[in-house]
Amino acid sequence: MGIRVNGAPSSAPDDPGPSAAEHLRDRLGLTGTKIACGSGVCGACTILVDGTPAASCLLPADHLAGRDVTTVEGLDGRHPVQRAFAAHDGLQCGYCTPGFVLEASVFVDAWRAEHGDTRPDRATVADALAGHLCRCGAYEGIFAAVAAACAGEFDTEADQAPPRADAPAKVTGRARFTADLAPPGTWEGVIVRSTVPHARVLKVSADAGPDGAPAPLADLLGEDRLVRYVGQPIAAVAAPTRAAAKALAKAVRVDHEPLPAVTDPEAARSPDAPVLYRTKQERAAAPTYGEAPTPSAPWNGNVRGPGVLSWRGPTAVARLRDASRRGDPLLVAEEYTTATQVHSPLEPHVSVASWADGDLYLHVSTQSVSKIADRAAKRWNLPRERVHLVTEYVGGGFGAKNSLSPDVVAAVELSRLNGVPVRVSLDRSEELTDAGHRPGTRTRVALLAGRDGSLRAMSVDSYGDGGVSVGSNAAVLAALMYGRSPRRVRDFDVVTNRPPGEPMRGPGGPPMAWALEQAVDTMARRLGEDPLSLRRRWDGNPKRRALYERVAELPLWRDRPRGKRTGRFRRGVGLAAAGWPYLLAPRARVELVVEGGTLVVRSATQDIGTGIRSVLGDVVADRLGTDAANLRVEIGQSSSVHGTGSFGSRTTTSMGPAAADAADRLREALRELSPDVPASGPVPEHALKEALAAAEGVSVVGERGLDRWGQLTPDMADLAVGRGMSGAVHVMEVEVDTLLGRVRPARCWAGIAAGRIYSERLARNQCEGAVVQGVGYALFEERRDDPASGVVLSDNLEDYRIPGMGDVPETEVYFHQEGFEHVVGGGIGLGEVSVVGVAAALGNAVYDATGHRQHDLPLRPDRLIGDQR
Amino acid sequence: MTTVRQTELTTSRPTSVAEASRELAGGGALPRAGGTDLAACLEVGAIAPGPLVDLLDVPGLRGCHWAGDGAVRIGAMTTVAELGTDPRLAGLHPGLAAAARALATPQIRGTATVGGNLLQRNRCSYLRNPAFDCFQTGGGTCPARSGDHLRGVVVDQGPCVAPHPSSLAVALLAYDATVHVARGRGSGPGADAQSPETAELGVAELYDGTDPTGDHVLAPGDLLTAVALPAPVPGERAAHLRAAGRSRAEWPLVEAVVRTECADGGTGPVVRAAVAVGGVARTPLRLPGVEAALVGAVPGEEAGAAVVGALEGLAELCSPLPATGYKVPLLQSTVRGVIEQALAAPNR
Repeated sequence: MGIRVNGAPSSAPDDPGPSAAEHLRDRLGLTGTKIACGSGVCGACTILVDGTPAASCLLPADHLAGRDVTTVEGLDGRHPVQRAFAAHDGLQCGYCTPGFVLEASVFVDAWRAEHGDTRPDRATVADALAGHLCRCGAYEGIFAAVAAACAGEFDTEADQAPPRADAPAKVTGRARFTADLAPPGTWEGVIVRSTVPHARVLKVSADAGPDGAPAPLADLLGEDRLVRYVGQPIAAVAAPTRAAAKALAKAVRVDHEPLPAVTDPEAARSPDAPVLYRTKQERAAAPTYGEAPTPSAPWNGNVRGPGVLSWRGPTAVARLRDASRRGDPLLVAEEYTTATQVHSPLEPHVSVASWADGDLYLHVSTQSVSKIADRAAKRWNLPRERVHLVTEYVGGGFGAKNSLSPDVVAAVELSRLNGVPVRVSLDRSEELTDAGHRPGTRTRVALLAGRDGSLRAMSVDSYGDGGVSVGSNAAVLAALMYGRSPRRVRDFDVVTNRPPGEPMRGPGGPPMAWALEQAVDTMARRLGEDPLSLRRRWDGNPKRRALYERVAELPLWRDRPRGKRTGRFRRGVGLAAAGWPYLLAPRARVELVVEGGTLVVRSATQDIGTGIRSVLGDVVADRLGTDAANLRVEIGQSSSVHGTGSFGSRTTTSMGPAAADAADRLREALRELSPDVPASGPVPEHALKEALAAAEGVSVVGERGLDRWGQLTPDMADLAVGRGMSGAVHVMEVEVDTLLGRVRPARCWAGIAAGRIYSERLARNQCEGAVVQGVGYALFEERRDDPASGVVLSDNLEDYRIPGMGDVPETEVYFHQEGFEHVVGGGIGLGEVSVVGVAAALGNAVYDATGHRQHDLPLRPDRLIGDQR
Repeated sequence: MTTVRQTELTTSRPTSVAEASRELAGGGALPRAGGTDLAACLEVGAIAPGPLVDLLDVPGLRGCHWAGDGAVRIGAMTTVAELGTDPRLAGLHPGLAAAARALATPQIRGTATVGGNLLQRNRCSYLRNPAFDCFQTGGGTCPARSGDHLRGVVVDQGPCVAPHPSSLAVALLAYDATVHVARGRGSGPGADAQSPETAELGVAELYDGTDPTGDHVLAPGDLLTAVALPAPVPGERAAHLRAAGRSRAEWPLVEAVVRTECADGGTGPVVRAAVAVGGVARTPLRLPGVEAALVGAVPGEEAGAAVVGALEGLAELCSPLPATGYKVPLLQSTVRGVIEQALAAPNR
C-alpha cells in the first residue's frame, strides 16, 4: 500500500524501516519535520496523518501505509496561521515552528468551522498546543498569531513584510538547520561516554567496522586520560547509519582503573573527600562556565575560592557581625538555593564535517561561527581560510553552543579517519546530560539596614555547584546592585564528579537575583515599607529609577491586592530589579558588496533566534533609505568578515553599528560613481538602482567604532566592557493554589532599559522569551541526578520540565530607551538583563500571595504544600 | 547503552483476539497498541526486546458499546482522546472522561489506547535509564529507594517505589469497572481451533503492589480486550482532580477520582461513595475510610467532621519514603479538593 505525502503518491517504507519522522526526513528529504525530544513530548516532529496531528518520532513508518500525510512543506506557506506566525513573530530560532504551525493549522480550521471568525482565549489555545514546547519562549507571539488566524485576519497575504526576515523560511520548513544537512554518503558518528564517575582510562579498543578492520576511534579524552563524570566523552566511532554506529559504540571496550568519586557538593567539602583536581596543572585545566575569563583563586580540596570583591569590606563584615551579636532586627541574613538549569536547545549540538584536498568543511550548530572557525583552524593546524564553516540556521543555544564541543571534534576526527563526511548529533539524553547547564547555587545573603532605613552593609557568599567545572560569579554580580554601601561578596566553586556547566543566558544573574531580591523584600517587610519604595531609595541606577517610576504608575502594581489573602487561590504581586554589564565586540565587521546589481550584506555572525539577520538588513536599509527586501543578507559563513558571537548580550550593539558604518561607506563609494546619490538622507530608488548597476563588485567593510569616552577595558579577544549597565525591573503577578501547592503566573510586566531598541518586535520577543525561561527556572526546571553515581536522571523532556504555553504569564514588555546616547548606535544588548530578575520577581509574588518566604528553587508543589497548612 | 529499535524487530499483525493471544502466549513477544511508550521503553531497556504483535488490525477492540441503562463496554484499543471527547461518557461517567482529558497531550491522547494506558510501564527515572538495573528489569535492588525518589510512593507496599502511572486506572477503580481479559493458550496442538478463555477482573485485581517485577499481573498471552463500567445510578456525582507542577502535559504527583451516590435523585445526602487515588502507591488505591465518612455528607455544604477526620486519618495509611513526606498533605488536600468538587458538581 502506498502513501500520499503532501498530496503526491509516495512509496511506503518497504522494510520495517525507521520512525515516520526519519522516513520523511532521511528518505524523502522533508526536513521541515524536526526531531528534538524523540519521545513525543515537544511536538517538533508533528505531522498530519489523515488530517490529525501525530508525533512522527513515535510513529512507526509502516503505520503510514495507506494514509494521507501532510508535513509542514505541504501547507505551502499558504495557511493563514503561517502568515500569522510570521506577522506576529511567533517564533525565534524556528526549530519548533513547523510542529507548532501544523498543529495550529488544524486547530484554527476546526475553531473557525465551529465558532466562526472569533478569537479563542488563551486557555483554549494552550489546551490545543499543550503538546508543543518552544525553548526560546516565543509563546506570546504564538498566542497572538493563533488568535489572529482564528479571527480571519490572515486569509490573504499580509501587507507588510514580517518583522523577522527569515520567518517565511521558518514557518514553511524551508529553513535548513545543521541537523537537516547530510550530503549523500554521510556517515553518522556516535560518542562513547564514561559509565563511571571517576577513573583512569587505560585502554580503549573498538570492534570491527564495516570493512572488517577495527573501526577507527576518535580520541576525546584529555591528556590526563581521566574521566571525572558519568557521561564524559571518551571516544567516538562512525558508521554509515546511526544504528550501526550505535552498535559499534556499544562494542567499544574501555579498560579503566576506578578512582574514588564524590558526587554531592556537601560531601565534596569534607576533608576526607576524594579530591578531583590534585595538581596545580589539573586545577588550571578545570573547565569553566564563566563567560569572561575566570580570575585565579585559591583551592582547598574540592573548593575553589573565594573570589572576593569588596567595597569597604572589613567595615561591612564588622557591621554585620555586630548586628548579629546584638540580634538587630534590621539584619536580614538568609540562605537561598537554586537548582541546575539545563539549556536544552531544541536543536541539539550537531556537526557535519568533511575534508577535501586538505580543506575542512564544517556545518556546526553554533553561536560563534567566527570563533569556532578560528579554533578549528588552530586545533587542526590549518590556515584559517582552509576552514569552511557554514551555519545558516541555529535551533537555539542560550550559551551552550560557544565552544569547540565534542560533537565538532568527533565529526572532524571521524571524517578524517574514515574518509567520508560525518555527522555527529547529540540525542536528547546526551544534550540534557553533557551539553552544558547553569549550575545550582547555595547563597548566603546578609543585609543590614540602619534606623533611617538606609543600607549599611551587604555580604554575599555564593557556592556554585558546577560539577567538574568552575566559574561561579553569582556573588560578584550582587556587588553591582544597590549603591555603594560597604559590602563584601565572595564566590566559591565546589567541584564534584558530575558534568560541567556552560555559560547560560545571564550567567550568575538569576541565582544572584533570586537570593538578593528575596532578601531585599524581606528587609522591606522588616522596615514596614513598600518593596518598590525601598528599592527607589536604595537603588541609584538612573535606568532602573526610570523603570521604578513607571512601575509606580502601573495598574498591575498600583492596584495589587493588599493585606492577608485567604481562600484556596491567592493572588500576589512581586517585583525584582536586575542589571547587566554592557559588553561589546570591538572586532565586529560587516561587508557590503554589490553583486549582480544587488546589495549583499555579509558577516560571519549567526542568528540563533535573536533576529540579527533581520537587524543587519534593517540597519543598512534604514541608513540608505531603501527597503530591506531589496537587500540580501548572508550570514553564517566563516569566509565572510569577522562576525560577533551570539552571546554576552553583545551581538546587536556590535553588529548594528558596523552595519550602519558599512552603509555609510557604501554611500561614499557609490557617490564616486553616481553623483545622483545624495550625501545624506534616503537614496531615491532609481538613483540607488543605477548606482548599484554601475558599482558591480564594489565592496566596503564597516566597523563597530568606539563609543564616546571610549570603553572601560581594551579589546580582550573580541570582548570589551563598555560604560553603563543595562537595567531591568520585572513585576510578576501569580495565583497560588494553596490546596495543591501550584503557582500559576498570571501577568508579567518586563521593564527593560538598554538604550535604543533596534527592532522593537524582535527585542520584545526576546524579552518575552526571557520571562518564559525565568518562569521555568522559578517553577519547574531542575536537573535531577542519582546521588550515588551522579548519573543524570532527568535526561528526557518529560523529566526535565520546561514551561509550556499554559504555564506562562501574559507578558507586557516596556523599553526605556534613554541613557546610552554615548554608545555608537545608542543601544546595548538585552538578552541577559531580561532574564536575570524573572524568577526573583515570581518568588516575591509568591511571598506576597501566601506570606511564606520560599528559599529554594524551583518552587515545586512539595515545597509549597507544607507551608500552606 | 542498549539500543533496540522497535522497527528492527519483527512485527506481526494478527487479525483476531485468538491469534494475537496465541502469538503473545509463548512469552517474549510484545503487544503494541498505540505504541506511544513502547519505543522509548525499548530504547532505554525498560522492556526487553521481542517480536512485536501489533494489535491495530484486531477487530472489535475499539469503541464504546453502550447498554440502554448507561453501562458501557470500552474496547481496549479505544484511544484516550475518544474517551475524553465522547459527550455521552462525559455525561454518564464524568470522572473517567475528566481523567482522560487531563492526561498527556492531545497528540498522545489521539494515539494512546485505554489498554495501553492501564498496562503501561511506570515512570521511574531509574527504570528508564539504561545505566541502572532494578527489580523491574531483572535486578535485585531498587536504586530509587536509596536514591532520587521525589516522585515516588507514599504508601510503601513493597520493594519497588514507583507509583502506578495510569490515570484511567484511578478513574476506573472509582467506577467499580471490570477488566475483560482473553487468556491465550499458547501454540500447542489444536490451539488454532480454540478461542481463548475470557476472564473478568476488578481493576484492583489487575495490579499487585507487592510485586516489584512489573506494573500489572497479566501473564504473557493475556490480552486486555475491554473495560466495562456499570450503569450509573440516579443522583450520581463524580469529579477528578490532579496535583501537578505544570498546568498541562504533566504526570500528576497525586490524583483522585470520587464518585458519590446521593439520595433523593442527587440532592440529598451521600448514601454511597467511591474514592480512588493515584500517584501514591504501586497501584491505584481505594480509600474506604474516606468513603465511609462521606456517607451523610450533603451536596453544596462544607464537609463535616467525619470527612475531616477521615482525611486526617489518611496519614496513618501513609508510609512515606525519605523524600515523599510531602505526599501525605498533598494526598489529603487532593482528596479534599476532589470531594468539594464532586459535591459542588451538578448531579446527573
